[in-house]
Amino acid sequence: MTAAVDTADWKTDWQEVVDAIGRDFAEGSITWGGDAVERGGIRRYLEPLELDCALHTDPEVARAAGYADVTMPATGVIAWTIPAAWTPGQVLFDSAERDAQPVHSAINNADMTLGPRTTGFFGTDIEVDFLRDVVAGERIGRRGKRLVACTPKETGVGRGAFMTWESEIVTSELEVVGRIRIGTYAYVPHATKEDAS
Amino acid sequence: MTAPTLDGRWFEDVVVGEQLPEVALPLTVYRLVMAAGSNRDFNSIHHNSEYARATGAEEMYANTSFLMSSWERSVRDWVGLTGRIRAIRGFRMRSFNHVGDTLRVLAEVSATRVDGPVGVVEIAIRCENRSGVSVGPGSVEVELPRRTTTQEESA
Repeated sequence: MTAAVDTADWKTDWQEVVDAIGRDFAEGSITWGGDAVERGGIRRYLEPLELDCALHTDPEVARAAGYADVTMPATGVIAWTIPAAWTPGQVLFDSAERDAQPVHSAINNADMTLGPRTTGFFGTDIEVDFLRDVVAGERIGRRGKRLVACTPKETGVGRGAFMTWESEIVTSELEVVGRIRIGTYAYVPHATKEDAS
Repeated sequence: MTAPTLDGRWFEDVVVGEQLPEVALPLTVYRLVMAAGSNRDFNSIHHNSEYARATGAEEMYANTSFLMSSWERSVRDWVGLTGRIRAIRGFRMRSFNHVGDTLRVLAEVSATRVDGPVGVVEIAIRCENRSGVSVGPGSVEVELPRRTTTQEESA
């Protein structure tokens, strides 16, 4: 893993990203979730949360509440808009090293075309407006990926930048069912003692 | 909103300052792996201690979807079948929620208002771990049915 090098002007490497605030890096395209929302996926989503709500598990109750089928938990807008990890014909794993990463992943900053190459990445904050509930049978995606903020900052884990991205949640009929702002921190981890030696 | 036959909370029964039941979620490796598998966030920092340490963290830690859905669990436990979550604000992850810790979700009603045929409840909410507040404080906005509207419609 690449470690942060001690250079005084590291923030200038991020300037082209700061200058791109307002740009839609997806150019309006839609990133569809790997699967449609379906009952089995909803059930599995509930398990680690021990979230007991019949709207998500019992079609009769969901219909009594006015829905066509069980509803996706509202916070599922993230999970159900993550694209498939693998598609037929692709090679996903090309190394037997213990901690080797897949050849590609939607959960990192690898598709960022500007700024320094980073190897550390995590989410920082989220705001969501849920305009209507999504039900089993629907498919959703994220339309657009507009950069609305970029702040270079050194933290305890490395040097990088906090970035905020804005997208719409749409159905296959292109109905906007939500709006989401996701904050991320992409960074180069600090050098460890092993790296320094 | 169709709600009268469903178990759940009505807008008129909500009192500002009311505490929601605390939710405690022990963060075991098992749970974090189940969460990654179900919410599709396979970033290795959430299920691989060695990898997480190489990125500067002390240990593997809970992923964003899991933490945000812990707020949904808290609100849904309290609101029942009648409520609809319509916004989450201020969901800011302040520190990592490491494996081996217990995530506690704490919430209370902070405001109420009428919005046409429904009532809207603002819930102030946060996660705490052994280091203090780790997520938030933020808010969840919930729609609830109003008895008065139902009575007016049936009159």
